[in-house]
Amino acid sequence: MPSRILLAALGIEAVVFAAIAPNFATVANVFEVMRLSVEVGLLAVAMTPILVTGGIDLSVGAMMGLAAVIFGAAYRDWSLPIGMAAAAALLAGCGGGVLNAALISALDIPPLIVTLGSLSLFRGLAEGITHGATNYSGFPPTVLRIGQGYLWGIVPAQLPILLAIVLAYAIVLHRSVIGRAWYAIGFAASGARYAGIPVARRVGLAYVLSGLVSSLAAIVYVAHLGQARADAGTGYELDAITAVVLGGTSVFGGRGTIWGTLGGLFAIAVLQNGLHLAALPSELIGVLVGTLLIGTIAIDRMRRRSRALGGRLQEEDTIVRNSQVAVLCAAVIAGALIVAGTNVWLVRSIESNVRGAGAAVPASRRAHRPVVAVMPKAKGDPYFVSCRAGAEEAAQELGVDLIWDGPTSLDAAKQNELVENWITRGVDVIAVAVENRAAISTVLRKARERGIRVLTWDADAEPDARDFFVNQATAEGIANALTDEAARLLGGAGDFAIITGALTAANQNEWIAFIGKRVSEKHSGLKLATIRPSDDDRDKAFAETQTILKVYPSVKLMMAISAPAVPGAAEAVRQAGRSDVRVIGLSLPNINKPYVHAGVVQTVVLWNTRDLGYLTVYAGALAADRKLPAGTRAIEAGRLGAISIRGSEIVLGPPLLFNKENIDRFDF
Amino acid sequence: MRREWSVAIAIGALAAALALVAPSYFSAENLRDIFLVNMPVLVAAIGTTLVILTGEIDISVGSAFAVCSVAAGVAAKAGMPTALAGLTACAVGAAAGAVNGALVAYAGIPSIVVTLAAMVALRDGLRWTTQGAWIADLPPRFQWLGVAQSTFPVVAGLASGLLVVAFAWAMRNLAAGRAVYATGSNAQAARLASIDTAFVKLAVFTAGGALTGLAALLNSVRFNQIPSNTGIGLEMKVIAAVVVGGAAITGGRGTFTGTVLGVMLLGAIGPALTFFGVSAQWERALQGAIILAAVTVDAARAGLSRTALVGA
Repeated sequence: MPSRILLAALGIEAVVFAAIAPNFATVANVFEVMRLSVEVGLLAVAMTPILVTGGIDLSVGAMMGLAAVIFGAAYRDWSLPIGMAAAAALLAGCGGGVLNAALISALDIPPLIVTLGSLSLFRGLAEGITHGATNYSGFPPTVLRIGQGYLWGIVPAQLPILLAIVLAYAIVLHRSVIGRAWYAIGFAASGARYAGIPVARRVGLAYVLSGLVSSLAAIVYVAHLGQARADAGTGYELDAITAVVLGGTSVFGGRGTIWGTLGGLFAIAVLQNGLHLAALPSELIGVLVGTLLIGTIAIDRMRRRSRALGGRLQEEDTIVRNSQVAVLCAAVIAGALIVAGTNVWLVRSIESNVRGAGAAVPASRRAHRPVVAVMPKAKGDPYFVSCRAGAEEAAQELGVDLIWDGPTSLDAAKQNELVENWITRGVDVIAVAVENRAAISTVLRKARERGIRVLTWDADAEPDARDFFVNQATAEGIANALTDEAARLLGGAGDFAIITGALTAANQNEWIAFIGKRVSEKHSGLKLATIRPSDDDRDKAFAETQTILKVYPSVKLMMAISAPAVPGAAEAVRQAGRSDVRVIGLSLPNINKPYVHAGVVQTVVLWNTRDLGYLTVYAGALAADRKLPAGTRAIEAGRLGAISIRGSEIVLGPPLLFNKENIDRFDF
Repeated sequence: MRREWSVAIAIGALAAALALVAPSYFSAENLRDIFLVNMPVLVAAIGTTLVILTGEIDISVGSAFAVCSVAAGVAAKAGMPTALAGLTACAVGAAAGAVNGALVAYAGIPSIVVTLAAMVALRDGLRWTTQGAWIADLPPRFQWLGVAQSTFPVVAGLASGLLVVAFAWAMRNLAAGRAVYATGSNAQAARLASIDTAFVKLAVFTAGGALTGLAALLNSVRFNQIPSNTGIGLEMKVIAAVVVGGAAITGGRGTFTGTVLGVMLLGAIGPALTFFGVSAQWERALQGAIILAAVTVDAARAGLSRTALVGA
C-alpha cells in the first residue's frame, strides 16, 4: 500500500487543485490524467520488481525508442501486417531485456553500468535505423484507436492495457513464489541462494519483463501520437524511477509494492495536470516533484525511525539525535537561503530579459476577457523566450489574458498533454508551435470540436486540425536563403559542413532535405562534407566543429542550423584561428552579436521572432472575437500594419538576414 | 588494478587503430582540443569518484554544473575578479552538495532519490529564473582566466593534473582518504572503528559539489557567453567514466587512475569516430557497444579467473 504520507499528499493536491484549477474535479479530467500516465505507468510498474531486487534499469526509455522505430519500420518498410509489426517490436523488447539480463545476472556486472551502456546502445540503434530523420506515420486506424479512442465514450482505450499489466505484476509480485523470490533477493542475495532460489534466473526475469513491457509502452506511445520516431520515450526512465521511489520502494531492494508505485505515479500526474489547469508555469513541476520526493521519503523515514525507537533500540543508525536533526534543518535552511539569494541576484541581473513574466498567470478568469493559450515548442529556448516578449506586448495592447506555457524541453507527448489540459480548462483560443505534426493534430481537432479556436504558429499541424497557421517562413524559404548565402560567400564552389540540432529534430531534418535539393538544383559547385549533431548544446557544437575543421580541412564554411550551435561553431573557428572559414546559420541576433562584429559569423538567418509572437496573439485575439472567419484575405495587425493571408496561412514576411550592418537594430 | 588495465588496453587498441587510419588524430592541436573539452568532465569526475567510493551516487552533477556556470557568470558580470567569481561557483556547488549530503547522511534518504530530486529541482529552478536567457557581455578578463589563450591549456593541464595527483595521494595516504574507502567498503565496520561515516558522506558530497563548481568555471572561461541550459547529460558522462574506470558502484573500490583512464577512453571515442569517418547516426550505438564490451570483457575475465581458482 502507498504510505499514508503519499496518500495525504495526493489528497492535498486534489483539494488544492479542485479549489484553484477550473474543471479539475470532473470525471473526464480524472480519465484524462489516467490516459496521460499510461506509458510512464507501464515502465514504472515493470521497474518496481527490479528495484525490489536491488537493481535498476535505466534503459527503458531508450528501449521504447528502439521498439517504436522497429514497430514503424516493420509496418512501413518491411510491409508486415500490423500484428506482425507489433510482435516484432515486442520481440525486440524481449531481446533488449535478455541482453540486459545476461550481462547482469550471468556476468554479474552491476545493473547501473549495464543499463547505462544499453541506454546508449538502444537509443543509438534507433537513431541509426532511422538515420535520425525517418518518421514513421500513417498507422492504421485500429492502432490509433488504442492510443486516442475511448471505450464507452469516456474510458481511454489504453487504460485496460495498463490495468492488465498492473494486475499481472501485482499477482506475480505479491501472490507468487517468483515475487517472494524477488523480495528475498533484494533483502540478501546470497541468503536467497542458500535458500535454494535460482537468483540469476529470477533477477534476469525481471529485466526481460521490463524490456517486454517497455516495448508494449512504445506501441501505446506510437498509437497515442500516431508517429514513431527514434526519440520516443526520451527521459522516461527518470519519470518512471521517480514514480516508483515516491511510492515507497526502497532503492536498496527488499521493500516496495505495485500499489505504492501507482500512488507515486498519480501523485506526479495529478500535480502536472493541476498545474496546467491552473495555468501555472511548467517549471514549477520539476521543483515541486523534487520537493514531494524528498518530503515524502524524509517524513516516511522519520516515522519509521520513531516507531523503531518506540519499540526497542534495534540498530545504532535508527537513532536520530537531536543534534543531527538540528544540523539537518540548518543545512536545509542554509541551502534554501543560498539558492533563494542567488536567484534574487540572478533575477536582478537579467531583469531586462524577463518582461513581465508574472503577467502570464491570470489569477482567475476575469469577466469576458478572452483567454489565449499559446504554446512554444520548448519554454527555455531563447528563440521562444524572444517570441514571448512580442506575445505579451500584444496581449497587453488588446486586453486579453495570455497563458504562455509549454514543455521545458522538446517533447511531443508533453505538448499533447498540455493541449488536453487546456481543453479541459476551457480556454478561448489555443495557438501551438507544433513539434510533431501527426501527433498533435488529433488533439487539436478535438479542441476545435469543443468550439475552441485553434491556431498554429512557427510550425504547422495538419491543415484540417487548425483554423489558421501563422507562418513565419517556409522550410524551403529558410533552406534556400541559407544555401544561397553559402554559395555567395564561397564564390559558387567549395565544401561546407552542417551542424544540426538533435539528429532526430524534425525541423532541422526538413531544412537539410531542402538544402540538399537547392544545392543539386542551383549550386552544383557546393559540396556537403558532413552533418554532425549538436543536441542544441553550445559546447557540443564547439567540440564537433573543432573536429570537423581537422578531419575535413577543405571545409570552408560551417552552416549551423540550431540557435545555440552558431555561437559554438563560431567560437571553435575563432579559437582555431581559421580566418578562411566562414560561419553562417539560423540563430538569434543577441547571442551572435560578438561574433558578427568580430567578422567570424557572416550572416544569421532568421525572422523577427518578437513580431511572430505579437502576430500570433493578435490573430488569436481576433479569432476569439470571431473576427477571423475562414476566407479572410488580410488583417490589420497593430504595429505590424496590414498582414496578408494566403489560403489559411497568415504570412509574417520573408526571412531576415542579419549581418554587421543591421544586427544592432534587433534585440532578441 | 585489473579494470584499469582493461581500460588502458582499450585505449591502446583505439590509439593503434587511429595511428593506422588517421594519424592526424595525434597532432598536438587535436590532443589539446580534446583535453580542453574533457577537462571539465575530469574535474567533475573526481568529485563523483569520491561519492561513488562511499557507495553513494550523485546524479545532480549536470544541473549543479549549470547553476554554478550561471553563478560564475553573474558574479563576473557584477564586477568580481575572476578568482572570486570562481570561488562563488565553488561555494554554490558546495552548498548544493552539502544539502544533498546532509539529506543522505543525516536524514538517511537514499542518495539516488535525493540527487534525482536535486537534479530536477535545480534544472527547472534555473530555467524558471533565467527564462532561458544566456549570460552575455562577460568582462574580457574572465575568458581564459585572464591569461593568454595559448597559455590556458598549460594552466588548466597543471591545475587538473595537480588536482588528480593530490586527490590520489590523499586517498592513499591520509586518514581522511582511508575513511572514505572504509565507509564505502563496510559502513558498519567503519563506524565501529570510530569513523564518523555520516560526516564522511556529508564531506564527499560537499567536496563533489565544490569540484562541480570548479569544473563549471573551467568550462565557462573557454567561451565569452554562458548558456543557462548547459551541462545536460553531464552526470551520465561522468558516472560512465568513473564506472568504466573500475570503481565499484557499491563503494569501497576504485582509483583515480581508473577515473582518468575512463574519462580518456570515453572522451577519445567521440572525435575518433569522426576521424574514422563513421556517420553521426551510428555514433551513439557504437559508444554504448564499446562501454558494454569493455565491462563485459572485464567481467568475463574475472569470471574465468574465479573458475580457475575454484578448479585449483
